[in-house]
This record gives sequence, structure tokens and C-alpha cells, in this order.
Amino acid sequence: MSYVLAKSKDDAILEAGECGGAVTSIFKYLLDNGIVDGVLALRPEDDIYDGVPTLITDSQDLISTAGSYHCAPTMIGNIIQKYFSDKKIAVSVKPCDIRSIDELIKRHKIDPEKIYTVGLNCGGTVSPIVGRKMIDLFYDINPDDVVSEEIDKGQFIVELADGSEKGVKIHDLEQEGYGRRNNCQRCDVKIPRKANIACGNWGAEDGWTFIEINDDKGQELIDAAKKEGFIETKNPSEQSIEARSKVENIMIKMSKKVQNAKFGDAEAMDAWNRCIACYACRDICPICWCHENCELNKSYFKDDINIPPSPIAFQGVRLSHMSFSCIDCGQCDDVCPMDIPVSLIFDKLQKKYCDRTGYVAGVSDDIKPPLYSPDKVEL
Amino acid sequence: MFEIKHTLCPSCSVGCGINVILDDGVVVGTFPYKRHPVNEGKNCLNGRNSIKSIDECVESDASVLKDVVKKLESCENDKVTVVFSGNNSNEDLDSIKSFCESKGYQILSYADNLRKFDTSVSYDDIENASNVFVIGNILYENPLIGRRIVHAKENGAKIYVNDDLENSPTANIADEFSSKSVKEFLEINDANFDDESIILFNKVDSFEDLDLFESTNSKILPVYSKSNTKGALKLVEAISKENAVELLNDTEVLLVFNDDIVNYIDFDFKSISTVISFSPYKNDTTEISDFVVPIKSWLESDGSFTNSADLTQEFSSVYESSQNMGIDEIINKINGEME
Repeated sequence: MSYVLAKSKDDAILEAGECGGAVTSIFKYLLDNGIVDGVLALRPEDDIYDGVPTLITDSQDLISTAGSYHCAPTMIGNIIQKYFSDKKIAVSVKPCDIRSIDELIKRHKIDPEKIYTVGLNCGGTVSPIVGRKMIDLFYDINPDDVVSEEIDKGQFIVELADGSEKGVKIHDLEQEGYGRRNNCQRCDVKIPRKANIACGNWGAEDGWTFIEINDDKGQELIDAAKKEGFIETKNPSEQSIEARSKVENIMIKMSKKVQNAKFGDAEAMDAWNRCIACYACRDICPICWCHENCELNKSYFKDDINIPPSPIAFQGVRLSHMSFSCIDCGQCDDVCPMDIPVSLIFDKLQKKYCDRTGYVAGVSDDIKPPLYSPDKVEL
Repeated sequence: MFEIKHTLCPSCSVGCGINVILDDGVVVGTFPYKRHPVNEGKNCLNGRNSIKSIDECVESDASVLKDVVKKLESCENDKVTVVFSGNNSNEDLDSIKSFCESKGYQILSYADNLRKFDTSVSYDDIENASNVFVIGNILYENPLIGRRIVHAKENGAKIYVNDDLENSPTANIADEFSSKSVKEFLEINDANFDDESIILFNKVDSFEDLDLFESTNSKILPVYSKSNTKGALKLVEAISKENAVELLNDTEVLLVFNDDIVNYIDFDFKSISTVISFSPYKNDTTEISDFVVPIKSWLESDGSFTNSADLTQEFSSVYESSQNMGIDEIINKINGEME
């Protein structure tokens, strides 16, 4: 693992990208040199709250993906597994994205040789509709007037077309039931270290991207992008490295606090009484890749006459199958029509499992989750 | 090429957004549309399964149109009945209505034995209500409106549910549950209705019950089973099930535009001399039809739906695959042939 500061050598990308535009330029290097067939990244569709995964095959179009989209809580792991298994792609990943990819690699559903993963440090994401409501309520700004947003120094900051900015403390927003998604508030993996490189502005000098190089593939990527003239680099100062580490540690500390405050609610949820057995939580789960042959579809678990289903017969089966690999991406919460906070209990169990085994889903270097490995004998 | 495109869910009248995933122009899945204000990325099973209907496309070609025209020309106009369905977009409904009026055909507009109410109610009104009265299993059948009832409860509203099922998700969130007739339910709660309360229903015991709702001073939100029933009712008032059956009894040629009337009206459709279906998909009605004309599905069409809360939302085609015609095109063609 090593650190580097990088920025784009392309003026247009430098202008459009966040903190130096290194990510966009690295993608451009991969595309222009035919190393990948495409780049899977977020592009705003209707507005900045509407980030949609898009495959870019022409580097001229990369500029449309530049920037960060905290109000686009997407998940990329299952998209790669379902639709890109035969293609060479590069992909931008939040920590939960790369954790899902890592778990799917362990399950032989993604070939790591075929993908380049460019990580983006993440302080959390905001649901688009919640984001718009909170901008309206707490910023006294029409959400349609916002041209970009960022999370920095504990604030959710919006920028208007005239360049003016307004920030509100995330803590204050979350006290009022707004701010980041619940799973993001609990998430204690802020830097995607399983990606080839992890990029962000924490600790970076103005106009530069701070990159943590996580493996040999990442090192080769940075070296080649620099050699080919797509980026320039310099070494970060000790101060920069320390500042970045400080941001990460503060965020992890905040997350642990939320975990302690919220995990107690997991068992006592009467929200399960609202379950309509629509399987949205299972179908969106990037870890539940085998749902077409899911046990829950088998006749002995089918419980069509009992809606809501017994939580033991429905979520109990899912918990036993994959909670040890839950990556706390919160997609199950997002898609539940009944607003059941599904991820709370899955995340809690993963953390309990981690306490016993040391296995952090999508982070630990173990080849497989311990339940599937010989280590389980010793537990 | 991998693409994600926005559209609207066609499976009920809530008006949810849904993203469709295309791989090389073929629809392969759905993706949460989290920016959509109605459902915020949440879709029920029916919504997510709505794209599967493309696997059941009608296998026919538009050459049957000539036979359709012959049938229409050989029949007295007032013996031709057209099913005016909320499955169609506002634009298609305009075309169908004009077609019926120009020819003097009967229109069968049926809306789950419900009708239009001249009240304007938003989904936010549900969340902000003091009392919510629910008739039917709305959490299960229309979950993205059901979710608003859950929010109302969290906001302190009292929830009254009247339904047959005592252990349904809707019943489970009720503060008071009953299984009475709609009339009795409204009578016993008469004192609780006020302008801050709301009555939601997706079924009634009889068409006559509908007048009872208007005698309360609550807000009223009927939840229809089809995506654009509200739009259809702006053009043509709905009739009761009894009147629909009466009209069918007096029909010699039945034109069904994008609907599966056999599935929800208990009637001997084989007693009708000729049934003609215009449909993108196979269904019970196309099965018994004498002629089936394939049409574009909603995924291949542009248009708009008006949801239960009276919000009109536009949608664009997500792909162009079939050579099928849209309803407007078909009607123009029939008109041309009949001139």
C-alpha cells in the first residue's frame, strides 16, 4: 500500500472533476488504450439527484460522469455480476460496491482479472428524495437550483450556479431524521481498500486527488496513466496522510456510536408485521446472487397464504444464508415498499459474526467467509 | 450496450416510477428509480414483474385488420361496444374516445365498480391525516400507497381498517379493525370523519356505496387497479358492474383495446358474436377473441398516465423492437379503410 497525489492533465476534466479529476483521467487512459471495453460509472440523468449507472465506451463521454453524486445510492456489484461477466470493464466503486464485488469474487460470480476497480472514499450517501426535502427545509434553497453537492468536514454542502455554497452539519440534519441513509450512518468502512486504488479529497491539497494504491494492479495503473500523460502525480506530505487518517478515524468513530445506539432496536421490530413477501429485499441484495434458485422459492418454504410471512420462515432463511456476508449497503432498506429497516438486523448479525470470527464481509482477506471455510470447525 | 431508462409502472394506479435495464436493446431487468417522487425506488412484485409480460407477446400480424374492418362494417354501430380501459395512456384514450364518438359505438368504461370523485387528494395528504380509514388490503395490493399509511401512523394518525382479512399487513397496522359492510363501516365511524381525515379504498360492496363516501366530510382517495383509470374517468364516466353486463348483453361486436375484461367481469363472452382484441400480450381475453391485433406495449410507447392522486406523468418508450402499431395508428388505419 502506498499513497500518491494525482491530478488530470486534461483541462476540461480538471474543470469538471472533483479534486483534480484524476479518477476520470484514469478511466480515460484505460479506454483510450483499449485496456477495457467500457467504464461503468454514474451519470446524472434528470438532475444531480438522479445518478444512473452508465456504461461509457467512448472516452469523450467520460466528462458526463465527472463529479460526485452523494444523492445516488446505487449498487454496482450485482450489475457487474449479471450483465458484465464477459466484458473487461473499469468501474468506480464506493466501499459497499467493492465489498459486494469482493464477496461475489469469492463466490466465483465475478472474475477479478476482468475488472479495474477505482474506489471512491465515502462518508455516506443520501436518498435523492430525502436530499431534496432537506435542501428545501434546512437550506432554504430550491433543490432544482443546486448544481453540485459534496460532503466535507462534517457538512453536507450544496453549490448553486453562481458558485455560492451553503453547508449544514450532517449531525444536525440526522438529528431531524434527514441526512445520510441509516446504513451509511452505521457504516464503518469508509475507504474502499479492496479496490485497486482508493481516491478522494480527504487529506488532499486543493486541486489534487489523494490516492491510496492498494495492490500491484493499482500501482501499474497509476504508473501507466502517468507515463502516458493522462495524470501527473506527486507524493503527499506526512501532514496530508495524517489528515486523511484523522478524517477516516473520526468517521469510523461516529459510525460505531450509531451502531451502538441502533443495534438494540433490531430484534424488537414490529415492522416485520408489514412484510408483504414481495422479495424486493432478496432480489436487490448483491450477495443473494442465486435467487433464481432460492430456497425461499421451494415449495416447503412457500407461504403464500400467510402474508405477512413468519419472519423466521422468510428473513430467518435469508439471515442464515448470507447475513455473515452482509456488506451493509442498505439496498434492502431502500427498496422495501413497507420501509422495513431490513439491513439493521443483517448488519448487526454480520458484526456479531465478525466479533466471533474476525471476518468483515468484503473486507477481510480470507478466501471465503469462515462458515464456508475449514476454520468453522474451530468456532 | 447496457442502458438504464426511466419509465412508469403500468401495474396499478399509484403512479410509481421504474427503471428498465436494457442489454443490447433487449429488456433484461428493472432497477430502482430512487429519484422518483412517488415511490423513491421502491416497487412491489407486480411492478417489478411488469416487464415479464413482454415474454407473452401476441403472435399475430396486423393483416387481420382488414377482417376487423369487414366485421365492423357489417354490424349496426350501436351494437359495437368498445372497452375503454385505464391500461391505455391518456393520448390513446383520446383517440379511442374520438373513434367511438365518430362511429356511434357504445363505450364500456368500468373501473373496479368504482367511479370518479371530484376531489383532489395528494399522497402527502395521507401522511398528514389525523385519521386514516382504509377499505381493502391496500398495504398488500397497493403497497406504495400503503407505505403512506404507515407514515401516517408514524406521524400519529389513527388507522381504521375494514377488510375481510384479519391478519393482513393492512390489518396489522390498524388501531381499529373491522370486517363489516362498507355501509356499516362508514356509519359507525361517522363521528370520526373530519376534513383532516382521509378515506382510502380499492373496493366497495356495491356501486351505490360510492355515494356514501361523498356524504362524509373526509378527503376521499379511490385506488384503482389500472395505471390510467383516473385519466380514463376524466374522459368517460364509469358504469357499475351490473350496467357493464347489461351492455355486454346488447353487444354483437366487442372491441377490447389493451385490456383483459374476461379476467374481471363474470360474463359469457362467447355469447358475443365477435370479440376483437388489440393487445400487446396474450391474456384471457385474447384467448377467446375471434381476432387479435398486436399493438405496441407501454415499453414501446410514449404517453402519459394520470395516477390516483390526479398527477399526470409522462413516459417515453424505452425501446423500439416490434413492428406493431400504436393504438392511434391502428385507429387511423381502420378509419381509412372504412371511408
